[in-house]
Amino acid sequence: MTASEEATAVEITADQRSGKEVDVTVDYLPATAAFHHEYPRTETLATVRTDAMVFFGVRDRQERDKYEYFLEFDGSRITNTSQSLGELLGPHKRKAEFHLVEQITPGSTCK
Amino acid sequence: MTTPYPTINEWVVSDAARRATLAGVRPAGRAVRESGAFWLGAREAIARVAVVVLPKGRGVEESIGHWRVTPEVFGEISRWAKPRGLTLLGIAHTHVRGVPARLSWSDRHRSVCVPGILSVVIGNGGEDDDHDKWGWYVYDEDDYRELLPPELTQRVRSNSTDAVEVLYADTEGVWPLTS
Repeated sequence: MTASEEATAVEITADQRSGKEVDVTVDYLPATAAFHHEYPRTETLATVRTDAMVFFGVRDRQERDKYEYFLEFDGSRITNTSQSLGELLGPHKRKAEFHLVEQITPGSTCK
Repeated sequence: MTTPYPTINEWVVSDAARRATLAGVRPAGRAVRESGAFWLGAREAIARVAVVVLPKGRGVEESIGHWRVTPEVFGEISRWAKPRGLTLLGIAHTHVRGVPARLSWSDRHRSVCVPGILSVVIGNGGEDDDHDKWGWYVYDEDDYRELLPPELTQRVRSNSTDAVEVLYADTEGVWPLTS
């Protein structure tokens, strides 16, 4: 192993020990502040979604039907929230920017 | 920790913003379908509607009984707005002719529910020019409540000077009306 590789390995190990491997930002259109947190790469997207929803003071609602919030990443809605940050980002990315999104369906009928 | 929803004392919805909203929703209204617009601006004590976004096309459903904007369109608007420092201040939508301009159950529960967000209902498919006939609601204490005079006139102001940017949005992005 070269000195450079050793340094990288040490850095990764230190990051893993501290549990701070991915800087996550989540924006939400009605909010002025973004949610920021550092997560280990093994953390699931479900946790990120839940933490962001707590920060933004919103929750899934089950009334006549289910009203859900989703994470959006690179233009796509994330449906598999059991996926980890590492699986989503690949081995090299250390930052992830999400948007918290929802489906709005106002209307005069309640079907 | 600072709140992500700073208090809004007044909203400024300029004549240009109202006209852009009406122009955007009327085509659907004339076809007896509901439609709507997102009002964006800087969320401050005096919050001015600076951008009217008209969701249209892919990812948007305009029907007789509802107006649906998918999460993908919501995300495109968010990805366009956030780098520009813009926040969603309110959502205006229409009810078709014969349906009161008041919040329905769906309007209350199937839309954005955060403090200080406006929900505005325009009756007659968007043909009501007189905004005093619109239903004005603000989300407050876990539900929408109607803004009635004198609070409505004190907190929702219009002016004839502020310009507004008008944009379309769908699942592919956000772009100016003129392109």
